[in-house]
Amino acid sequence: MSDTVYKGLLPQGLRDLLPPMAEAEAALVERLMAVLAGNGYERVEPPLLEFEDNLLSGAGAAMAKETFRLMDPVSQRMIGVRADMTPQVARIAATRLAKAPRPLRLSYAGQVLRVKGGQLNPERQLGEVGAELIGSDDIAADVEVLTVAAEALDAVGMKNVSVDLTLPRLVPLVCSALGLDGERTERVRAALDHKDAAAVAAVGGEAATLLGKLLAAAGTAEKTLKRLAGLRLPKEAAAELARLATVCQEVKVRSPALAMTIDPIENRGFEYHTGISFTFFARSVRGELGRGGRYLTGNGAGEPATGFTIYTDLVIEALPNPTPVRRLFVPAGSDTALVRRLRGEGWITVAALRPGGDEAEAKRLRCSHVLAGDKIAALD
Amino acid sequence: MYANERLVLALPKGRILDEAVPLMRRAGIELEAAFEDPEERQLRFRTNHDQLDVIRVRSFDVPTFVAFGAAHLGVTGADDLMEFESPEIYAPLDLGIGRCRLVVAGPREDAGRDLGRLSHIRIATKYPEITRRYFATRGIQAECIKLNGAVELAPGMGLSRQIVDLVQTGSTLKANNLVEIEEIAAITARLIVNRTALKTRTEQVNTWIERFREAADAA
Repeated sequence: MSDTVYKGLLPQGLRDLLPPMAEAEAALVERLMAVLAGNGYERVEPPLLEFEDNLLSGAGAAMAKETFRLMDPVSQRMIGVRADMTPQVARIAATRLAKAPRPLRLSYAGQVLRVKGGQLNPERQLGEVGAELIGSDDIAADVEVLTVAAEALDAVGMKNVSVDLTLPRLVPLVCSALGLDGERTERVRAALDHKDAAAVAAVGGEAATLLGKLLAAAGTAEKTLKRLAGLRLPKEAAAELARLATVCQEVKVRSPALAMTIDPIENRGFEYHTGISFTFFARSVRGELGRGGRYLTGNGAGEPATGFTIYTDLVIEALPNPTPVRRLFVPAGSDTALVRRLRGEGWITVAALRPGGDEAEAKRLRCSHVLAGDKIAALD
Repeated sequence: MYANERLVLALPKGRILDEAVPLMRRAGIELEAAFEDPEERQLRFRTNHDQLDVIRVRSFDVPTFVAFGAAHLGVTGADDLMEFESPEIYAPLDLGIGRCRLVVAGPREDAGRDLGRLSHIRIATKYPEITRRYFATRGIQAECIKLNGAVELAPGMGLSRQIVDLVQTGSTLKANNLVEIEEIAAITARLIVNRTALKTRTEQVNTWIERFREAADAA
């Protein structure tokens, strides 16, 4: 085997974005951020690297396995490359913006790096756009993040979007109420993650019956709520469920186009979430478009917060290709004042560096129009 | 899912298929005649349902098709499912067909041997992932030699002393002078679904899960 590194070869899961996709990606991020700004979310920009302890505290702990780490030669401490921006924003809210009035609405856009790509999407560098609503435990906050996320996805033209809601604390509450020990809980968890009804039944007892019913309850929001209403759940779990029902009702009123499903046992990546959490899907995209939910900032004793992250790489894949832009070829010696005015009108101008061969040169450089004197001629 | 508006069900060639076809019939799925024709080269088939097509692929490829959303549903042995291990696959239903067992087997003199004393073991198998995981939980490092068939030959040919393979009746082991040492898992066929399909086409996919459940229960 040869050790040559081929010139165009990038490490697995990394890529170059070329024209016109790089431009389209930037425009997408801008449009998503505009919706967030319009809803009162103010932009913050955390650094690429942080001390590992900060990055992986609270809900960030779920990303521990995904985080690239290196040793900081300056402080001699471990630092991590962010694998998700939410913990960073939570840290900002808990420290520098600790005295800012609550509820605090913050938004962010940036690239994150992950140690492993997923099976479906091998990318290890991902673009995130997100919003966090910090310092409120109100149902209205849960409703707001869901509707803002739906509004943002709608604004960029995503079709057939659906959101899958879950209560990450439900299964742990049920397991502890029924007295399952750590090892059996873990076995149940693994079985539930694969919706393996046979393996859940194998656990036996009252727990298996109830968990089996939770498993079978998943489906459209309306039907699932009905099915869950008939179950005898521990008190705390029932309260969470009542909250979820209210959120569903409210979201339905505000975002009628958003399809809602509920999966009461979904847990993936929500291990550290503390309340209503959700995943966005679209028919045309394999894998998750975005996710979010309720968590506590900092380690345990932090503020209640909720928010969402949209994965821009997946959104852009699902959107139609960008419409080709109008590029105007400007021959050498053209009137510079005129050309500047045309740019002001929205033209993209491509200047000739040498005189001659104008039309052929314009086509070669993928221009749609050519400037002749002060006239613009379309090329076919 | 890329514009696959019709749902696609992936079926495995071989062992499970003979039992799967009657089960599907009970679930109300009739396959077009070409499916039963051994000479037929076509791989994608229509059914009596306008919204459901069937593909026939190698058994260990069923989880791959489903994980990537190329097929929305699939019928697969628990062995192939465990080997592939994907977070994108849900296995909501035990179909109760294709029963067999996944075992560790070795030469006759190994009968009753305590493998727990080993720190390292060499195994020839079609299932390197399952094998590695199984032995790792017992603190044994498994060095796997991946074979795609005729695994029972390995001990006799000096490839490895032990193998991990499926047994149905045990006659293949016997014919090759092998005995079962330990059982890893009991295997049945599962109905599997793609995660995104279940979340975005909930009603449609759930209807099929229900139909298969009724058909499996009726058996």
